[in-house]
Amino acid sequence: MSDIALPAVESRPKPRRLPVPPLVVFGITWLSLMLAIALSADLISPFAYTALDLRNRLAPPIGFGGPWLHMLGTDELGRDVLSRLIVSIRLSLLIAFGATLIGAFVGTSLGFLAAHFRGWVEHIVLALVDFSASLPFLILALSVLAFFGNSLSLFVVLLGFHAWERYARIARGLAISAGAQGYAAAVRQLGASPWRIYGRHVLPNIASTLIVSMTLAFPEIILLESGLSFLGLGVQPPSTSLGNMVGYGREYLTRAPWILLAPAFTIVLTTFAVSLIGDWLRDRLDPTLR
Amino acid sequence: MLRFLTFRLLRAVITIVMVVTFAFVVLRLSGDPALLIMSVDAPPEAIAAFRAAWGLDDPLWIQYVRYFNAIFHGDLGRSMRDGRDAIVLVTERIPATLALTLPALAIKLGFGIPAGVYAALHRNTWVDRLVMMLAVAGFTIPSFVLGLLLVLVFAVQLGWLPSGGQDSWRHAILPVITLGVGGAAVLARFTRSAMLEVLGQPYIRSASAKGVPWAAVVRNHALPNAAIPTVTIIGFMVGSLIAGAVVVESVFSWPGVGRLLVVAVANRDLAVVQCILLLVAMTMVVANLIVDLLYGALDPRLRATRAAGAH
Repeated sequence: MSDIALPAVESRPKPRRLPVPPLVVFGITWLSLMLAIALSADLISPFAYTALDLRNRLAPPIGFGGPWLHMLGTDELGRDVLSRLIVSIRLSLLIAFGATLIGAFVGTSLGFLAAHFRGWVEHIVLALVDFSASLPFLILALSVLAFFGNSLSLFVVLLGFHAWERYARIARGLAISAGAQGYAAAVRQLGASPWRIYGRHVLPNIASTLIVSMTLAFPEIILLESGLSFLGLGVQPPSTSLGNMVGYGREYLTRAPWILLAPAFTIVLTTFAVSLIGDWLRDRLDPTLR
Repeated sequence: MLRFLTFRLLRAVITIVMVVTFAFVVLRLSGDPALLIMSVDAPPEAIAAFRAAWGLDDPLWIQYVRYFNAIFHGDLGRSMRDGRDAIVLVTERIPATLALTLPALAIKLGFGIPAGVYAALHRNTWVDRLVMMLAVAGFTIPSFVLGLLLVLVFAVQLGWLPSGGQDSWRHAILPVITLGVGGAAVLARFTRSAMLEVLGQPYIRSASAKGVPWAAVVRNHALPNAAIPTVTIIGFMVGSLIAGAVVVESVFSWPGVGRLLVVAVANRDLAVVQCILLLVAMTMVVANLIVDLLYGALDPRLRATRAAGAH
């Protein structure tokens, strides 16, 4: 296969493949590492994340005089920071993935509805888009949490509504212009149902733009989740997420900064990695950018 | 122009109405206010009397109208915590928040816009890459992490600045920097892409081709056109002056509106939360309205097309 493909690529100079920039390689590597950790959290975490080790409380990491037992040190109750970090990575990523998918699904569906029905349906969708674009999402999220209290499923759904309006705008705009193009009209003439037209024909054609939006929304959701959890209003103990760990570690900033630094760097590197990948994908895939 | 103005005003009013409706719906969905305020073991007669006194037995739409009426008379309820009017509680926190967000806005504008313009004019040089790297980094570091790192370095290790509280101007330095850096990064990225978009337009090429010096092309043609999209994001920043410091105020124990909001959410002090929600919505809507009017002033084309496309 590669024997045949190789000369063909060389003879055609036009679609030259740009090398993947090193920062993007870093981003992909880091994200894969995080995913691997999230998937195998139960296997690789050295201790249960709630297990106490009262003889090794506030032990510093290896290299700063800590015992080999706890590689990243322990917290006030002697809980292993590495184990808590691993479990937090899993929960934070799970929430971010869940919320991103919910946002993309809700937004895209509403965008398609607006594009399909036009008229007053479109007006309602656009009014809702205006509404959510006009309020800082953090404030909206905080008021919902105040009114309804907190549970993990509500929290994920709530974060899912972050950035739904962007998908709705994109999906509506692209679906309207797709409707004007030949292929959608052709399938419609053949008698395809709206489900089939939007699901099988329009969606695959606009997927790349939506995926770019998802990679741009994903780090924002991680930041939102960790911010709310940091404030004590997101993920509730005994569950732990990256933001929770930072919020907890803040109390020990002077005595045991490692409790805070490990999750903080994980958040920063993860959002940085996804942003790099997102920017790169946007430049590569998004047809609206030249 | 008049049509454009009335349409914009109408939209602003609709948004406010939607926010009030949102607050009403969420408030009603969150549970029976009678049970929320009275103790759990209150006798049924007391609950019934309470419901009658507050009109909770009336049809929903009457309650809705009454709710609107109260809000537009400035009656936003009392804090369940200390029994004072929610609106008083919130407004007395505003100066403290502005003391952080206004200087931070100055940092955002003062660093973000020049950095973005410079990066766009020197595209693909190392300066451009550096600015963009810093911008992505500034955007991806959450404010609480940056704030705590600054505390760790400047308060704990070096001991130069206080780590929290609001006793002197020195207490404001770290929170203002924390707020400013993230916003400057966002603005730099945004300004750069707006500038690049404009610099690729044919009129820039025409202006250069007819011999206008490059500095004049940038000043007279590129900058005003790039200002149009940038104004939107600045409007958003102005609109979030009151509520843009929720996390940072918590990190630095700064007694502003954001701190009040976090405490109110944790205590489920609904009147205060609702008051802040409405206040933020108002500022946001007013800021957006000003942006829209500025748009009209900056770009004569928009006046005609926006009004026409609006029905």
